[in-house]
Amino acid sequence: MKNSNRLIMGAAISLAAILVAADHTKHRLPTPVEEQEQITEQSNIVIEGEEDASPCSMNIESDNEVSSPCGFGD
Amino acid sequence: MQSIKAKIQTITDKPVVLMVLMGILSLSLFLQHEFDLRQALLFLTGIGLGATLMYALFGFSGAWRFFIRDRKSVGIRAQLTLIGLCSLLFFPLIAGVIPSISVSAAMGQVGVSVIVGAFIFGIGMQLGGGCGSGTLFTVGQGQVDMLITLAFFIIGATLGSAHLGWWLALPNIGKVSIINEMGWQSALVLQLVILFILYRLVRHMELKRQQKLADFSTHTQRESTIEQLIHGPWSLWWGIIGLTILSLVTLILAGYPWSITFAFGLWGSKIWAALGGDVSSWAYWSGGYPAKALNQSVLADVTTIMDFGIIGGAMLAAALAGKFAPKDKITTKRFLTAVIGGLLLGYGARLAFGCNIGGLLGGIASGSLHGWLWLVAGFSGGIVGVKARVWLKLDKPYGAA
Repeated sequence: MKNSNRLIMGAAISLAAILVAADHTKHRLPTPVEEQEQITEQSNIVIEGEEDASPCSMNIESDNEVSSPCGFGD
Repeated sequence: MQSIKAKIQTITDKPVVLMVLMGILSLSLFLQHEFDLRQALLFLTGIGLGATLMYALFGFSGAWRFFIRDRKSVGIRAQLTLIGLCSLLFFPLIAGVIPSISVSAAMGQVGVSVIVGAFIFGIGMQLGGGCGSGTLFTVGQGQVDMLITLAFFIIGATLGSAHLGWWLALPNIGKVSIINEMGWQSALVLQLVILFILYRLVRHMELKRQQKLADFSTHTQRESTIEQLIHGPWSLWWGIIGLTILSLVTLILAGYPWSITFAFGLWGSKIWAALGGDVSSWAYWSGGYPAKALNQSVLADVTTIMDFGIIGGAMLAAALAGKFAPKDKITTKRFLTAVIGGLLLGYGARLAFGCNIGGLLGGIASGSLHGWLWLVAGFSGGIVGVKARVWLKLDKPYGAA
């Protein structure tokens, strides 16, 4: 009897690989011109954390009390 | 007598080994090309962690269950030893004793969210059949039921990230670092003393119940150390040493302790967003590192690539040991416990600032008080989870032969 679990694992890994490739490719596409403004607004949110590239080094308390300690990193 | 080479060829699942090795090589080179060498090295560190977890079968949920049911403490003693060794290495680095190495602690606020989250996680560990690290390495081993647990772990973590703002507003005393409060030397001594007392306590309880004490060595001995290294099983000592070294490497390379479940929430939220959902309104993803992670490639996230590494490393180890994808059937009851367990694991981990790795190991070993609270609440949840397993007839009643 063939081990069907190997096929299931293979299918799961293939699906995951496709999803990762799709996500990675999406983030590499050039930003459409009409969305520039929106992206700039979003990046304002992100900038706070950009000086700290790890989930641990951002001990910034925001208005809604959602801080970003390292614990968020897991 | 068969030579070692012949034995390796007999045991090894060669097609899987070759595919995994090709995958590891390809992804390492890709990460180095697309990002930097550090990203590739962190992926390889994950490979090492996965292989170590798999070879030494270093788990948390089983170890807790064996202690709660039968007072068998070898797994818990191994965990305490690992936490102690990591503390010994982490405390001075976090305190800045070596100025050229800049690292951060895994801090989390001490409050209701950790108590509830870790308690839920403790129950989920027993129902789902694995913790954060355990789920990943058993998926790598090819256990299909753990794929179900992982899928719902991701859903739970995503739901948790949606609700986290509400939970964090509940009573808490904020983040408490015992390194900052006491100085790293005093804090380290105190922590090691507490770990030693716990070690002696669980050891005493095992001796009292079992009349004997299991040690960290493995009972399966192969002919040579090389053969044992390649095919396993490893002793718990090898596991402890391997995990300690790789945790230190992670701390230095990433700049913060090893973590796992942030990536699960990230994956789930990205999938939800791709399906048309709006995650930008969730406070958790609206600023800081989470927002940054959400708005860039998933491969740029350190926890993601390390999680991929853990799965790949466990897969490689399982294939080398000839144990990849065991032919286990999934019953309806197992399916349901994997679903419920996975949801509890994911939701609990998000509330508790991490799983048994990021919250418990990372938290305690980097001097955050929330790690100790995690341990108490998580273990309490584990007791409930073990009782639930008996109630669901997954395990025999206590004391049954």
